[in-house]
Amino acid sequence: MPQLRLTGRGLWITVLIAPPLAFVALFIVYPIVAAFAYAFYDWQGLARGDFVGLANFHHVLFVEPYASWTRNAFTHNIIVFFALMVLQNGVGFILAYALWRELPGARFHRVAVFLPVVLSTIIVGYLWKLFLHPIFGVVNQSLKAVGLPFLAQPWLGQDSTALWALIFANAWHMVGFPTLVFLAGMQRIPTEILDAVRMETESEWVKITKVVWPLVAPSATVVFVLLFVGAFNWFELPYIMAGLDGSPYGSTDVLGLYFYRTAFGNVSAGQQDFGLGSALAVLIFVFIAAVASVITVRLRAREIQI
Amino acid sequence: MARLSLRGIKKRFRTTDVLHGIDLEIGDREFVVFVGPSGCGKSTLLRLIAGLDPISEGSFFLNGQQMNEVPPSRRGIAMVFQSYALYPHMDVYENMAFGARLMGLSRAEVEARIAEAARMLRLEEYLKRKPRELSGGQRQRVAIARALVRKPEVFLLDEPLSNLDAALRSDVRLEIARLHRQIGGTMIYVTHDQVEAMTLADRIVVMNLGRIEQVGTPRELYETPANTFVATFIGSPKMALIDVTRDGDTIGVAGGGSQKLGRLPAADAEAFKVGVRPDALTLRRGEGEGLAATVVYTEYLGDNAFVYARLADGTQVSVRTAPGETYDPDEKVNLTIAAETAHFFSAADGRRMAA
Repeated sequence: MPQLRLTGRGLWITVLIAPPLAFVALFIVYPIVAAFAYAFYDWQGLARGDFVGLANFHHVLFVEPYASWTRNAFTHNIIVFFALMVLQNGVGFILAYALWRELPGARFHRVAVFLPVVLSTIIVGYLWKLFLHPIFGVVNQSLKAVGLPFLAQPWLGQDSTALWALIFANAWHMVGFPTLVFLAGMQRIPTEILDAVRMETESEWVKITKVVWPLVAPSATVVFVLLFVGAFNWFELPYIMAGLDGSPYGSTDVLGLYFYRTAFGNVSAGQQDFGLGSALAVLIFVFIAAVASVITVRLRAREIQI
Repeated sequence: MARLSLRGIKKRFRTTDVLHGIDLEIGDREFVVFVGPSGCGKSTLLRLIAGLDPISEGSFFLNGQQMNEVPPSRRGIAMVFQSYALYPHMDVYENMAFGARLMGLSRAEVEARIAEAARMLRLEEYLKRKPRELSGGQRQRVAIARALVRKPEVFLLDEPLSNLDAALRSDVRLEIARLHRQIGGTMIYVTHDQVEAMTLADRIVVMNLGRIEQVGTPRELYETPANTFVATFIGSPKMALIDVTRDGDTIGVAGGGSQKLGRLPAADAEAFKVGVRPDALTLRRGEGEGLAATVVYTEYLGDNAFVYARLADGTQVSVRTAPGETYDPDEKVNLTIAAETAHFFSAADGRRMAA
């Protein structure tokens, strides 16, 4: 067995590796393992009680009212994921294509599209909360100004539109990111390949579906996986725009808010419960990790080396 | 049937003029090679014919029909690209089938055409492979096969051999020549390599700085170059241009040597340069009659050798010699020009002068 002699090179390597290893263990590995462990105990406030096995998991999944809260939040996350897949990644792809084809004003729009991404979520959240204000908001004011007052809605105040308003604000904020990733992917396609396609067809549709889309597969993998993770960890924007309860009436409740309320409590939800909260956190983590892995493996398989 | 007619073609990129008015007629089944140094506009001209870039001024007719506004896919033209431009996500079969299907051909017809092209280019075993699993030469053949499947009237080939190694290059060159005989389409081939141009072309179009310098058969270009550009571009090692003074039927080089030439431009003609290819010179050791020169170095090629020597005025010339003879650098030699193979060009503008 080779021995690591603590002299010269070996010593150097040890000295350089030990601190980051300790850091990662203390601040990343330990909290994750600890959260896992918390989920298996009964909690009285901040005091740890007895080991209860899977009781916390059972509680959040199958005991009312937690079960329906969980279902409600999870459903919203799924809606958010698919809606953003279209509004954020789909629109991002189209924007990237338009920018890449150097349509007039491409230079300006490249900056314009990406600018909101740089803004902090807090700012975007408050901005859109103001825009969507039922009386003074610029959205309803504009609708009235162009003679469409019947379209003016209390966007964030009714359960039929609240979640969609948040989704829209998120898409506005983040659409520049998939655009940028797709644009980078498109710019990697050799121009001669595009010339070759042009020799065979003038249909943009054929070009996009048969050549460009397959060749930006690596970009698609990145934005799909990140969107999936983002959609199921969604927290800041609903927290800022709709509050911890996912108001109105839980119509904007998502797993992130629900977990936060359960673990740390709030005025309307009453007591904090670390056990149930940790169980939720573990479930969310396992779900995201499992599905994201499957998506990644599946999408990797269709990537091609250009 | 494919007759191409280029009339006053100009190309401008923003404010830079790239082509300054190209007039050219290309006949049916002709193999035409555009040759010239990089940046001369030959690839640009090819892209205009393909329709990949718009023509700034002038007209392009294909079989009498103006093509300026017709999109590339509707011109009946196929192109083979320098980088092959195969679709990396499609296998060889799909690469060939893609364009054919877009033409609206029946499934049976597509299959028949692919089978034929695959047979002609010996690709049958590779139909299920992706481009990245093929060698450079195989990719090149796929690119040509993809063009063949569309049965175009005109084939455009943009430096198709430049990404291949030297050994493969001559093989593929032969293959392209064979294909042209077999399918008989009109081919336009762009290269900067004059050997490719000489070996493949029915007619060569020599271009420089966005203009056509000369159009002719390889033999015409070699034997009667229209100007000093064509003269030095065609032929390897290249033709030397010697500045001479004239005294009756004797020419002299500044600083050393003179020679009587039996064939010269008219006595009252303007000042001229003498162009000599390596075969037009005879080299003898030591000083003597003829043009004095100093050996620079010798290139041994097995079947013959080229001696590079510098004349008294500094002009470098190359001479073909027997491979067995060796000359040392700095050795004094003298050269005589064979009058019947010498070329004469105007010293003022480089035009060919009759003798």
